[in-house]
Amino acid sequence: MAGVVLQDLTKRYDGGALAVDKLNLDIHDGEFVCLVGPSGCGKTTALRMIAGLEEITSGEVRIGDRVVNNLPPRDRDIAMVFQSYALYPHMSVRDNMAFGLQLRKTPKADIDKAVVEAARILDLERFLDRKPGQLSGGQRQRVALGRAIVREPAVFLMDEPLSNLDAKLRVQTRAEIARMHTRLEATMIYVTHDQVEAMTMGDRIAVINEGVLQQAGTPKDLYELPQNRFVAGFIGSPSMNFIELRLSKDGEVLRLTGEGAELRPDDTQAALLRDLATDTVIVGFRPEHLELAALSGPVLSVSVVVDVVEFLGNDELIHGSSGGRDVVAIINADNTLRVGESVTLSAPPRRLHLFNPATGLRITKDGPAGEGGVARLMSTG
Amino acid sequence: MSVQAASLPVGAQAKKPRLRLRPTRLVLNIVLAAIAIFWLVPSIGIAIISLRPNSAFEQSGWWTVLTAPAQLTFSNYQGLFSAGFKPGQVLDSLTTSIAITVPVTILVTVISSLTAYSLVFGRWKGRTLVFLLIVAMLVLPLQMALIPVASLYKVVDTSTGLHLFGSLIGAIIFHVAFGLPFGIFLMRNFYSGIPHDLLEAGRIDGAGEWTLFRKVVMPIGIPALASLAIFQFIWVWNDLLVALIFLGNSSHITLTMFLYGQTRALANNYYIISSGAMISIIVPLIVFFAFQRYFVRGVLAGAVK
Repeated sequence: MAGVVLQDLTKRYDGGALAVDKLNLDIHDGEFVCLVGPSGCGKTTALRMIAGLEEITSGEVRIGDRVVNNLPPRDRDIAMVFQSYALYPHMSVRDNMAFGLQLRKTPKADIDKAVVEAARILDLERFLDRKPGQLSGGQRQRVALGRAIVREPAVFLMDEPLSNLDAKLRVQTRAEIARMHTRLEATMIYVTHDQVEAMTMGDRIAVINEGVLQQAGTPKDLYELPQNRFVAGFIGSPSMNFIELRLSKDGEVLRLTGEGAELRPDDTQAALLRDLATDTVIVGFRPEHLELAALSGPVLSVSVVVDVVEFLGNDELIHGSSGGRDVVAIINADNTLRVGESVTLSAPPRRLHLFNPATGLRITKDGPAGEGGVARLMSTG
Repeated sequence: MSVQAASLPVGAQAKKPRLRLRPTRLVLNIVLAAIAIFWLVPSIGIAIISLRPNSAFEQSGWWTVLTAPAQLTFSNYQGLFSAGFKPGQVLDSLTTSIAITVPVTILVTVISSLTAYSLVFGRWKGRTLVFLLIVAMLVLPLQMALIPVASLYKVVDTSTGLHLFGSLIGAIIFHVAFGLPFGIFLMRNFYSGIPHDLLEAGRIDGAGEWTLFRKVVMPIGIPALASLAIFQFIWVWNDLLVALIFLGNSSHITLTMFLYGQTRALANNYYIISSGAMISIIVPLIVFFAFQRYFVRGVLAGAVK
């Protein structure tokens, strides 16, 4: 087992497109780190550079204490699970799993032992002599996992391994990978575009957008303290709502209004906003933190006209519009809201996230987030 | 109760296709049978002619066998084989044809396969251009190259003391050169369908390029290799033109040259032509059936989603 350090890792394609821009990440030995971001954000390219499948334009990849930039994939002591499974179609499950060990000239008895053990862990014993074509999608992905396990690599790399599975299998295999991680105590780097997968599996999550690391931290950190508007909107389902409010100072009293909403800030927020150079601020609030009850004291109130009501069982997903801006709320199903109805939703100040409209960065105690904010989030974790 | 009710329509449905007449299918079968007979008649005819005595050829048509099967005899074949491996006779021609066709088939499949691997999975610039040039060579008619290559061979022969013109090696080189563009085209297109993920998985597993080619790509490419081998074998086996140009003045006589030699004597030699033609059909048939089992459809099934 080994940790992985990415230092200023950059990938620029021949055409000039920048896929990954100075990615810095320190992945500890035995840690499960998810690289998450929208399609085309560079997360898979980063993973492929760690694997040695993609040339590194600049920067450094270290696995354990070795710089592996110029090592071919086979010498990096890694195993990779592909989104497409990438099983050898002409080989049996047994041979698929044994192939890597055979190439490393492992004694046959050891190979057999490793394959049988991996098959036992993944419940594949019955299928060892079948070809991949005779297996279901879930079984194939388990074979791909088995192929990685038998090698006992220093680092497991997984490229969206659950994307091709149906919803039920995805949940099952997710648990299987989590169990595998606990059991093997291995370093795992897991690429996904699904923030739910990242939140449930990762010890730490690195959110990437347009090739740039936005924030790295524990799922709780990312949920509670997103460092910029992108992370705030990307983490959480349904996504965070954003409303732009105009700041006005009436003597010592701060008023924030706009887009059918009003914020009466608490003392902490007032202190943050008082020194702000801009006269507008983006307020983010999660759908699950909105309440129907009218709250007194410091609060964000949003007047919403209900467009759609989706029944989820215990809760209802309310889609509405406030001053032309879409707002989503999760409200207990025990309500009488109807489409077309106007209603005021409230959120307590501690559930609000304030962002600078110009930079998109979180407004923090250290002053309005600027360049320093970026540097800080890079070193998070 | 509900189970019974549900099972009834299923049973009824299962019986339906048997009861219903499907006219489109019937018409299709008749048309296919007619085409099959149309195509088979010449082959059946020549097979029967080869099994009738030479004297019967001018007396009655081959179809009279259907009413008088007693006239069938192996005497034509006995006559043909009695000369043994004497130069210019059928067995000698057979071995000459095999000595050209087998190496050409092996060389074309192996070289095409390796080239296609490099064109698809290699990481060098200009791969597309090279492939386009190879495709362009497909349109070059064989006849156009015969004379220039023959004179080239002669120049090489006089300057190096080699003996390309009039030798089997010379004919083999020519056939391989003309077989490669199609072989590379076919294999390259087949290999293009192999997901790159498979090779990347192999690289991570520890395979080098040669191992990837032998253990991953080639086994997957077997159906294409088998069809290429069959095509190539039949083309070279049936070739007369190249053999006449490059071996015409030598002691090497291929089976097609042997048969061609008999046609010049016209009608009298039909018994030799028919039995010789049967022998020349049988070899490609054996090759076809030997490789046919490799035509496994969906060999890539399960590799990737």
